[in-house]
Amino acid sequence: MVGETVAGYSNVLFMFGFAVLALAPALVISRMISPRTKSNPVKYLPMECGQVPSGAGRTHFMMQYYAYILMFVIFDVMAIFLYAWGSALLDLPKEATLPILAFLGIMFAAMAFALYQTKRKNIW
Amino acid sequence: MSVIAPKFRLGYLIKGLTDNIFWIIVILTLVGLPVVQIVLIYIDFPIIDGEIWNPFRVLDAMTHPERALPLVKSFMQTDFFKVAAFPGFGFAALIAAATIFVERKLLAKLQLRVGPFYCGKVEGILQLMADGLKLISKEIIIPAKADKPLFWAAPVLFAATAGAFVALIPVAPGWVVADIDLGLLAVFAVIGFFPIITIVSAWSANSKFPFIGGIRALYQMVSFEIPLILSLLGIVMLTGTLNLVEIVESQASFPWIIFMPIGAIVFFICILAELERIPFDLPEAESEIVAGWLTEFSGMMYGLVQLGSYLKLYAFAALFVVLFLGGWNGPWFYPMEPIAEVITDGVVLMPGALTLEIEGGLLFSQEMINGLIWFVLKTVGVILVILIPRGVFPRIRIDLLLQIGWYKLIMLAFVNIFIALALVYSGIIGPGGIL
Repeated sequence: MVGETVAGYSNVLFMFGFAVLALAPALVISRMISPRTKSNPVKYLPMECGQVPSGAGRTHFMMQYYAYILMFVIFDVMAIFLYAWGSALLDLPKEATLPILAFLGIMFAAMAFALYQTKRKNIW
Repeated sequence: MSVIAPKFRLGYLIKGLTDNIFWIIVILTLVGLPVVQIVLIYIDFPIIDGEIWNPFRVLDAMTHPERALPLVKSFMQTDFFKVAAFPGFGFAALIAAATIFVERKLLAKLQLRVGPFYCGKVEGILQLMADGLKLISKEIIIPAKADKPLFWAAPVLFAATAGAFVALIPVAPGWVVADIDLGLLAVFAVIGFFPIITIVSAWSANSKFPFIGGIRALYQMVSFEIPLILSLLGIVMLTGTLNLVEIVESQASFPWIIFMPIGAIVFFICILAELERIPFDLPEAESEIVAGWLTEFSGMMYGLVQLGSYLKLYAFAALFVVLFLGGWNGPWFYPMEPIAEVITDGVVLMPGALTLEIEGGLLFSQEMINGLIWFVLKTVGVILVILIPRGVFPRIRIDLLLQIGWYKLIMLAFVNIFIALALVYSGIIGPGGIL
């Protein structure tokens, strides 16, 4: 039982490994046959449209939208939890839907409050 | 017309070619043949029908179809064939390559251009091959302060993750690489890897444009993952299963798009956002941030990322077909039962000049061929619908993008869920329902 389940997933990993084995040679062959010209001072600089780069390469993080990332952490889990209920819906009694509706109501209120907070400019 | 480079001499080219052929023959004879013979010493050959099967007999069997066909049939049932060739990597890569060419021609027609034209004489049909050769023969330049192992690994990981996504798609009855009970959850798990790979490659490049593009990709994929997950909940509620094969089988009489058009529209918009296609191509916005998170990729690394993104496009279009358009279900236009004479007498190909008899039925079942044709037709249609917005729409602003994802699409996804609930509780679908 457990072995069969794992065997199904192992095919996904098999596909992943096959793709790695099939595609990595493309990089190796490219490295072998491509010309390698001599280095000059600007060749290996990061691309900045012709300017000489200055400052750190990993620049500032856009904090103004960071609230959406925080919301994602919560509501993604909520969305996956709903699948546990949704896939068993046809076998459940009808009363079982009421707690889920209450749960959705709580999450809607939370989401509305979070979206209201993301629009406030002075905290982000 | 292109001008031949002044240093070019036909004689030099022919000399180079003959030199290469000479050395290949010499090396194969002096190294290849001994290696083959040494390997053959240590291999135990299988015994079939009381005869030892050496390589000569295998070659012999290939020329005798009545012996080769069972071998080919048994090979086609192995996992390796499924992964490497048919429902897996080879099939998907073929469709992805065709998509690249069709997209270039279609976009050119939409913009009153010609598109690829000279390569291969007929409408630039060999342009892809030329582009592949160009990419593989270009120098790979890595920025000086990049994190080199991560930067090398990112394109391969991106394409391989797209390959793992392809593995979950059922193509025809019985033809799926990984038939998992929780197939839809596995799809979500694989989709969740793409933002991580994107941000890793953007971070490892240590350059400004890739970093900005990577952050944008992170926001975009993260915002649209929740409506994508919620828009599919309605189907799971009505079918009561997460297995993609069973979801396809549940659509034998009607596709789910009839009952859940809102879910289909939300899912389609989320596909566009997850694929970073116009109007949601902020991570690769070429007029703002050069090429977004692809800026520092050069040569074959860029080629691998492109291949991966088109594999992803095929996988998402196929997922749309599987979930909403009924997968391989469709009217029969292929003879349903195999013709009786084929099974008993075999097929005679080209009677007269060269008679070739194949006994013992067909390589593929009729059901599989019919299903495959329907699946490919529907998938190609969905791919075209994904391609067309690129010629029509402008790019949208990032705050509007986040607003669409968080306000409108999530609300519409919940509307879809309540439609599904209403369908179940009004007794239309489900146990004891009308349909």
